[in-house]
Amino acid sequence: MLVSLRWLRDYVDVELKPGELADRLTMAGLEVESVDEAGPEFTNVVVAKILSIKSHPGADKLSLCEVTTGDENYPVVCGAKNINVGDVVPLAQVGATIPGGYTIKSSIIRGEKSEGMLCSEDELGIGEDAAGIMILPGGLSLGEDLADALDLKDTVFDIGITPNRSDCLSVIGIAREVAAITGKKLKLPEIVFTEAEENTKDITSVDILNPNLCPRYTARIIKDVRVGPSPHWMRLRLEAVGLRAINNIVDITNFVMMEFGQPLHAFDFRFLEEGRIVVRGAQEGEEFVSLDGKERILKADTLMICDGVKPVAIGGIMGGMNSEVTDDTGTVLLESAYFNPTSIRKTSKWLGMSTDASFRFERGVDPEGVVRASNRTAQLIADLAGGKICRNCIDQYSRKIKPVENIPLRVKKVDEVLGVKVKAGEIKKILKSLGMVVNKTEDGSYLVTPPTFRVDISREIDLIEEIIRIHGYDGVPMSLPAVPERTDIKNREKTLEEKIRVILTGQGYSEVINYSFIMPESANILGLKEDDEGRKFVMIKNPLTEDQSVMRTSLVYGLLDTMRKNANAGCFDLRIFEKGKIFIAQKEGELPLEKEKIAGLITGIRYDDLWHWKELLSDFYDLKGCVENLFDGLMVRDVKFKSGTDVPLLHPGKSCGIFVDDKKIGFIGEVHPGVLEKMDLKRNAVVFELDFDFLAMHYTEEIFYREIPRFPISSRDVAFLVGKDMEGERILDLVVGESEELLEKAAIFDVYYGKGIPEGMKSTALRFTYRSSDRTLTDDEVDEAHNRIVERIAGLTGARIRGKED
Amino acid sequence: MREDLAELQRKAEAELNSAGSEEELLAIRTKYLGRKGLLTLLFRKIGNAAPDERPLLGRLSNEIKEALSVKIENALEKLAPQGKYGALLQEKIDVTLPGRGVRHGRIHPISQVSQEICEVFLRLGFSVAKGPEVELDYYNFEALNIPKDHPARDMQDTFYVEDNIVLRTHTSPVQIRIMEKQRPPVRIVSPGKVYRHDSDVSHTPMFHQIEGLWVDKGITFSDLKGVLTYFLQQVFGEDTVLRFRPSFFPFTEPSAEIDIQCIICGGTGCRVCGQSGWLEILGAGMVDPEVFKTVGYDPEEISGFAFGLGVERIAMLKYSISDIRLFYENDRRFLEQF
Ligand SMILES: [Zn+2]
Repeated sequence: MLVSLRWLRDYVDVELKPGELADRLTMAGLEVESVDEAGPEFTNVVVAKILSIKSHPGADKLSLCEVTTGDENYPVVCGAKNINVGDVVPLAQVGATIPGGYTIKSSIIRGEKSEGMLCSEDELGIGEDAAGIMILPGGLSLGEDLADALDLKDTVFDIGITPNRSDCLSVIGIAREVAAITGKKLKLPEIVFTEAEENTKDITSVDILNPNLCPRYTARIIKDVRVGPSPHWMRLRLEAVGLRAINNIVDITNFVMMEFGQPLHAFDFRFLEEGRIVVRGAQEGEEFVSLDGKERILKADTLMICDGVKPVAIGGIMGGMNSEVTDDTGTVLLESAYFNPTSIRKTSKWLGMSTDASFRFERGVDPEGVVRASNRTAQLIADLAGGKICRNCIDQYSRKIKPVENIPLRVKKVDEVLGVKVKAGEIKKILKSLGMVVNKTEDGSYLVTPPTFRVDISREIDLIEEIIRIHGYDGVPMSLPAVPERTDIKNREKTLEEKIRVILTGQGYSEVINYSFIMPESANILGLKEDDEGRKFVMIKNPLTEDQSVMRTSLVYGLLDTMRKNANAGCFDLRIFEKGKIFIAQKEGELPLEKEKIAGLITGIRYDDLWHWKELLSDFYDLKGCVENLFDGLMVRDVKFKSGTDVPLLHPGKSCGIFVDDKKIGFIGEVHPGVLEKMDLKRNAVVFELDFDFLAMHYTEEIFYREIPRFPISSRDVAFLVGKDMEGERILDLVVGESEELLEKAAIFDVYYGKGIPEGMKSTALRFTYRSSDRTLTDDEVDEAHNRIVERIAGLTGARIRGKED
Repeated sequence: MREDLAELQRKAEAELNSAGSEEELLAIRTKYLGRKGLLTLLFRKIGNAAPDERPLLGRLSNEIKEALSVKIENALEKLAPQGKYGALLQEKIDVTLPGRGVRHGRIHPISQVSQEICEVFLRLGFSVAKGPEVELDYYNFEALNIPKDHPARDMQDTFYVEDNIVLRTHTSPVQIRIMEKQRPPVRIVSPGKVYRHDSDVSHTPMFHQIEGLWVDKGITFSDLKGVLTYFLQQVFGEDTVLRFRPSFFPFTEPSAEIDIQCIICGGTGCRVCGQSGWLEILGAGMVDPEVFKTVGYDPEEISGFAFGLGVERIAMLKYSISDIRLFYENDRRFLEQF
């Protein structure tokens, strides 16, 4: 909210510099977001005195003046007649700018030199008087800048008002805070006016059909108003806080709204059919043109202010075109009301209309301030627009808003919450400075009644907050509570997260974070089947864009998207991983299933060091190695890579499922060429995705040391000639199945097909390592065990042994 | 005899000093110390000397032999590499070429900062707690004292999934879920993703928050100040200047915003701090009694404070990043800098 210092000073003496005041307000919970200097629209206008006036020899209507700024004298040609020798006047010096974009130049007017211009209020944009030169009051020092001399400069604070402080949505509200902080007195405007003989109640009536939504409605008739521009002082204040001046009646209602925080509305009484007000719900589908010129279709529960026939305003939000105050308005009906905050908020949301009025009503205005604001408005209309105020204000207040009274406050509790002793005397002083009534009880505690405009205060803790807010947070010492000896158990998930990051970054993979929302079309791009779980999207009702309208069901799409963005930026080589949640929609009304996943992608060259490796492209095995290292680092054993996955986004021949103990926990594979094409990706990529939650359950940090073997190994190599489809792991599984005691390890060290190998076959070479824990093996022992295994494998797989074919 | 020995030592040393090559040194060794060397010959003559002089002469000639041997060995050692130097030089490699191996990857700056922050609280005995990102309206708002149609909801633009299901707008619902399950004391930090319907240079629709909660008997606002000061000085340095100022959050009372003196300008005012000299870092407050009642704690018995901070904001300050969206573009040139 914008607050003008000039306006603020109408209600409280401010001795602090603007910057200091801003700091004090901020430290009391009214965050000053900016402080702007505002001033008149002129420069280089100074206070000058007329030394002599002679008639212009070449022009009857002009005169020649000699003026002084104290240091220097200037000749000025002037057309005005209201000046006399000795008058102190504004002099726009050569080089000065005045409103309208004029710059004052040295000139010769009908043969006489003129060094500047004497100005009227109107010419300077600081008043309406355009008839003559502005005669300045005595006591100003010559040569002083006029803006300084007349205090025309203002400071505007932009204050962030938190939603609980509706009482601060007014200049008086801020002034009250300033008074409390600085120990000054709040000066409220005196409201006095004379009422005419005619009785408002004889002219109009108010019926509230919906008192829950409109607990209080007041109306007053003011006759014989003269609609015209507002006085300069009022326009200055309104414009300083960003309100456009319209006409005196509208401006006065805005002024009082800003002054007291109570929104008001003035109807042109001529257009109120049957001359009365009915507060009721709209009819479903009823049409209404609001003051902003927009046509609105209403719902049945929209609270409307109506005359005897039709709606004339959307209650608490905006008036209607049909009853607007215009230049020829003579009689106004002035509304000042209290609306139900929730109802206003709902309507304002539904209509998409947030106005100064609705903003205040939905936060809660002072239900007991309604009549005062009406009186203040009537007073100003009488003073500034010559209105006759009809006797008696109609005040329909059928649903009394129960004020909060006598909140118990224990001094001990203040200490307990804050950890600092605030003296009882200070507590009392602070609360009183905020307008509260404080009574001491027999047991030494207080009963506190907050003012009705403090709708945020109803509990002891609310009072404690007020006390410390004004006392100052700086006045609270710092302490550290004792940390109990038993700190919580190590968090497995967090440990796992960190381990994964270390393992993957160590292998060259960088962590990325993608948005959790993706586009629904991604399901088609990834080729998901109709019944794929990945299509059970959690849909966002109000997405920012269609591209971000559903929650992801896999991390892979985001990784591919990252790959695309990098490719577009000219970077084709990536090793990345992401850890995050996926979301699977459940039944309506239920929260989705959230699963934590870890996924990775590799694309482009295998090594950045072209000098060593040339352009070796990464492939399936690069990423598989990375995943194997991950399992190894987490000490998750018995991991199986089983071909034939049902993941449609992967290349069917270059992908597999990842299993631990026969439970599928993820997949790895080259991205399907069709997916790459749809995503406009030119290069291959390999991806994996793993179930983080499973890893969190199964990783281990336990290490059992095994004795380092003391006896040497013996190795035997053998190449099996097998069908091309025979997977390496099957052979290894068979070897393991032999349970040969002396066999320590068997590993594939070469796979070859092509020249020298029959069509449809391949050579899979294994190295067998034998060792005993208690002796050095003899060649015979090794040969015996080795031959037995090799023959068994050959028998089980139908493999031939290379080099032994003949 | 003694003079002969001394003379021999002088001559041998003189020759050693002028010897420049391995060959010469080896020749000197043979000449004096060899089986038929001069010193060996002299040694054999000791038997001819007077019996009472023999032990002395024997010791003396041994000392000379030892001294010469050491000198020759040292000289040889000094010369030896020089002998192979030329040949090794032929094997020179270009040491300025890059080393070999996979370049290590980087941890996302958000994860790094988040981890650093959590560590500080872990040291204070906090544990990490997590909760759903798609959350019931009840946990995200109502249990936190933010009823439907309350203006406080304007503070957080919300993504809706259903009328009563939202993308969580803060990590605060985790504190409700934990307190529902656990009796005090509760000390948790809850890092995670949150979502708001907002997007520009300083807002992304998804960002990261860390929420903290310390609930126990006798926790005060003074403790809040102490713990959060400790935390901020751990993260931003011991000399960090802080200010605590009143604010409003529906689920805490009294509430505070905590600013640190601008680390860019040092408090004189700059673009980053909006000329104010201060940077808003943390929101905090004493847990509102209403919240305690909601989870079945007795606010007369139990008190506590909660706080929340935006990880991106801290990362942006720490690394001088001016556009928050960079965190989610995952450009390799960005990621590689952390
Ligand atoms: Zn700064």
